[in-house]
Amino acid sequence: MQRRQFLSLSAFTAVAIIIPASNAEDFRATKPTVWTAHNVDDAVKAMYGTNEVIQSGVILTIPNPAPRGSAVPVNIKSTIEAKSVALFQNANPESAVATWTVHEGSIIDYDIKIKLKSVGEPIAVTAIVEGIDGKLYSAVSTLKVAPGGCDGGA
Amino acid sequence: MKIKAKLKGDIVKVKAMAKHDMTTYDQAKGKTGNSDDANFITRVTASVNGKIVYEMSTSQFLSKNPIMKFQFKGAKAGDKVEMTWIDRKGNTKTSKGKIK
Repeated sequence: MQRRQFLSLSAFTAVAIIIPASNAEDFRATKPTVWTAHNVDDAVKAMYGTNEVIQSGVILTIPNPAPRGSAVPVNIKSTIEAKSVALFQNANPESAVATWTVHEGSIIDYDIKIKLKSVGEPIAVTAIVEGIDGKLYSAVSTLKVAPGGCDGGA
Repeated sequence: MKIKAKLKGDIVKVKAMAKHDMTTYDQAKGKTGNSDDANFITRVTASVNGKIVYEMSTSQFLSKNPIMKFQFKGAKAGDKVEMTWIDRKGNTKTSKGKIK
């Protein structure tokens, strides 16, 4: 009995150590509505409380047309001193793809592969960088996903 | 998780791959009829010497076995990059990669 108590206690402690790391922010926990929004405007508003963005300072690179919807390479670059970065798109059922918390020493040069549903019409992918000045900087990349490939987000 | 980390000048470049199916709600519904069977990585963090250098919250729209690349400053060769992911069902995996 004592051993069992000890084991359950140690398991609990291990979990407790892993999760709350320094000033880390889990946007899935703190901003749950971002992840259920069905369009980019709603998702941006849920994340940042505003839709006012400045269209500069962010470089978003995605091949057009993307050969495979199941793994579209996306690169986000910026030299803005930032608090966070977020990536949205308007092809899949929900808009949010990923958000990053920028830490000391972090360089905003993120490569990630994402799923995009081939919808026949051009897809807009939006990257937003939240500067430490509180302003939102954005870049939009429009692309097509080659038809006949994998079913991206479906 | 596969992690490759290289020091170039004062910048560490990291390439990492998480082995995960990243099942979306729609894919789960098609397979099992229950969209709640969806399972995908929701969060990835990387730290060096106890300091977080990369932190991403994610949705189901990362590709299967997602590859991520990122860069940071403030580490030296021989330091270890420790990366952890956690998925929607609470599974978690931590791996380490030495900076070369």
